[in-house]
Amino acid sequence: MKNTRKIPLYYWRRLSQLACLTLFFFLFIRTDYSGTDTIEYAVNILFRIDPLLALSASLAAGFFIPLMLPAVGTLLLTLILGRFFCGWVCPMGTLLDGCRTMAPKAQTGNDRKYRSLKFYLLGFLLMGAWFGLPMAGYFDPFSILVRGLALALDPALNTLSTTFFTYTYQEGPTWLNTVTEPVYAFLKATILPFNQKYYDLTILSLGILLLVFFLEKLERRFFCRNLCPLGALFAVTSRFSLLRGKAGTKCTKCRNCQEVCRMGAIDEERTISPIDCNLCLDCLHHCPGNKISFQFGMKSQAKPTFTLSRRTFVSSLALGAMLPFFLKSRTLARQSDELLIRPPGALPEEAFVGRCVRCGECMKVCIGNGLQPAFLQSGLEGMFSPILKARTGYCEYNCTLCGQVCPSGAITKLSAPEKKKVKIGNVVFDKNRCLPYAKGIPCIVCEEHCPTPDKAIKFREVVVENSRGEKVTVKQPYLIDGLCVGCGICETKCPLPGPSAVIVTSAGESRNPAKALPDTGRMGY
Amino acid sequence: MDRRAFLRQVALWSAGLSVSIPHFRICEALAAEGQQPLLAHATGRDYRDLVDRVLSPLGGMGKFVRPSDKVVIKPNIGWDRNPAQAANTHPQVVRVLVERALDAGAGEVLVFDRTCNEERRCYVNSGIQEALAGIKDKRLKFFHPDERKYIPVDIERGKAVRRLDIYRDALEADSYINVPVAKHHGLSRLTLGLKNSMGVLGGTRGAMHHNLGQKLADLATVIRPKLTVIDATRILLANGPQGGNLDDVRVLDTVIASVDPVAADAYATTLFGLRPEEIESTVAAHGMGLGEMDLKKVRVIKA
Repeated sequence: MKNTRKIPLYYWRRLSQLACLTLFFFLFIRTDYSGTDTIEYAVNILFRIDPLLALSASLAAGFFIPLMLPAVGTLLLTLILGRFFCGWVCPMGTLLDGCRTMAPKAQTGNDRKYRSLKFYLLGFLLMGAWFGLPMAGYFDPFSILVRGLALALDPALNTLSTTFFTYTYQEGPTWLNTVTEPVYAFLKATILPFNQKYYDLTILSLGILLLVFFLEKLERRFFCRNLCPLGALFAVTSRFSLLRGKAGTKCTKCRNCQEVCRMGAIDEERTISPIDCNLCLDCLHHCPGNKISFQFGMKSQAKPTFTLSRRTFVSSLALGAMLPFFLKSRTLARQSDELLIRPPGALPEEAFVGRCVRCGECMKVCIGNGLQPAFLQSGLEGMFSPILKARTGYCEYNCTLCGQVCPSGAITKLSAPEKKKVKIGNVVFDKNRCLPYAKGIPCIVCEEHCPTPDKAIKFREVVVENSRGEKVTVKQPYLIDGLCVGCGICETKCPLPGPSAVIVTSAGESRNPAKALPDTGRMGY
Repeated sequence: MDRRAFLRQVALWSAGLSVSIPHFRICEALAAEGQQPLLAHATGRDYRDLVDRVLSPLGGMGKFVRPSDKVVIKPNIGWDRNPAQAANTHPQVVRVLVERALDAGAGEVLVFDRTCNEERRCYVNSGIQEALAGIKDKRLKFFHPDERKYIPVDIERGKAVRRLDIYRDALEADSYINVPVAKHHGLSRLTLGLKNSMGVLGGTRGAMHHNLGQKLADLATVIRPKLTVIDATRILLANGPQGGNLDDVRVLDTVIASVDPVAADAYATTLFGLRPEEIESTVAAHGMGLGEMDLKKVRVIKA
């Protein structure tokens, strides 16, 4: 490498990182309704090029999920280029690299004792996915990142800006507003979400994301080196990769390369381990003798620079295979949570949880703010999977966006007419709270908002005695089960303070025939 | 309390300079007393022409919009439904009214509604966004309401509601033009002009439903359109206010216009085969002197 006057190679790597990060943020912002019924961009592409999620979702599904085909391309490229993805593409990696300039420098560190954790984790996750404990999404870097952004940072950013610009709007002088209002309008048109959204598990999602960043204090790219199961998959593949870094044997042993290596890939003998190297190419720049080169070659089969404990690895596989059987004896397995309402098009529960990669895309895109991350409603293995919480938001009748953005097909992509035939739940009225029943006060907001062309919520005119002892005619709502799709707009809009008097339950959901509602016509009582 | 003092209160409140809630007390004569209110209606397939025809007996748009006025045109864009489904005001009717207001020299023309379904979907699916995109005039502002701009207003004459959060632009408009679509509604039987004014309210509007008729009349003491244009080009007869089933829609190709908001509602009621006194909000508003509901006392002109 004599081209010292030319642009150093690591600049290209930085450019690639920046471009991928920009693209990532662009697609993240575009994960929203944009004036048409379909999203034009492949906003979920990041999750579809992720071989870890492709593998775990496919293992859970029992077949290779065609949507996730792009992930094969990533693996093939890794076979040629090694862990380039970690160094050149991964937005999490880029952000970790980027935040280093802000944080006090940790020692570069070359501690290898945690390196094998990611392999054990990978084994455990894949076995778990296969046998019925799908948890890959808990550790996948993109899932962690997008969840943190969608459920915590994005809504918080909106709160922050709205608070600030409300203050300037209400308290500031006119001249200030001539500056701040256009800025606010610009932000709203570009990076801010359309409206304020509210989410469950905000702090948890943020905490997990921040933890990845705090680990940088211990070691550069601590997460990538030691924990990232996607990195582990790339590492395994990179054992066979063609592009390898080689340090010269006749170097002055200055060890600059070892010190600058963000992945701790270079050992005392200045061997560059393809399992760890993410091809950032920093070492090229720092080698005073230009002894380091990256070349394609089939010959040298590098040996791993750490030893994997076979016993621990087998144990982690066994754990992944065994744990799922404990899930089958929970009460959940017999009787699912009646408030566990899945998005329209969701596969039957077991298949759904198996394929859901916990990316948060559906919750980000849900324009009704109805989809929320589950906590323990569907068990330990269902955390962060989407459920409809109809008191805070509802499923917009004409909208099909969640199925469009789901990267793994856990939510089937449905056309609008198909979606309207899917029943995700059924409504029950709490007559102790519902105003026309309980208080003789007219209301019927639920019926007003019921979106089915032939309204599922209808009413009867009934003369009742109200709390003042007056005889009044009120309209009392009731439900036609066969018309209700379970969208939950009635629960969202119910004007009672506190819990709604009309509640969506998962009864009658079309993905589970076991939950079919009684049909008076056929039963004949 | 005159209008100017009220507007000053609104401005002070929204600038954070005053903590006292603006209140609106009407002293001016309500419906022009002694004078017979005028109502025009017209039928025809060309909706642009229809709007012009119905406005001309009332004196044309120039009667309601003076040069450099701040004009609010308030259609019903409440639902994620397309024009044929008759849940929102017809886009062509809105568009012509905007054009006429601009022609009359309006300083700015604001068009908005606080929707029930998701905001952007309603604006798009109603066809109004596309119809207004064709008007290249910077004075036209078609926007989603801004959460910061709802102002609490004391309803001095309110019988069922004492305070409402009302959109600032609706309060400040020199000329407020109400453009509802006539359709069925489960609770109030029909939703017409007075009900359409709910689109300028913030907060939890569901509470309006408890004694809706009187609350709408109370709201009508503050939101007082200079002109009401009721879109009955097609009306929704059942499953309102959202509809969705074309079998529930009847095409009437009719537009109604009046200076008197109560008379406009009363007349539109008859298109459904109902009598004005069957609509609670009409009765309540008439009872408060906000307009005429007896169609015999209204000069109805077929234009």
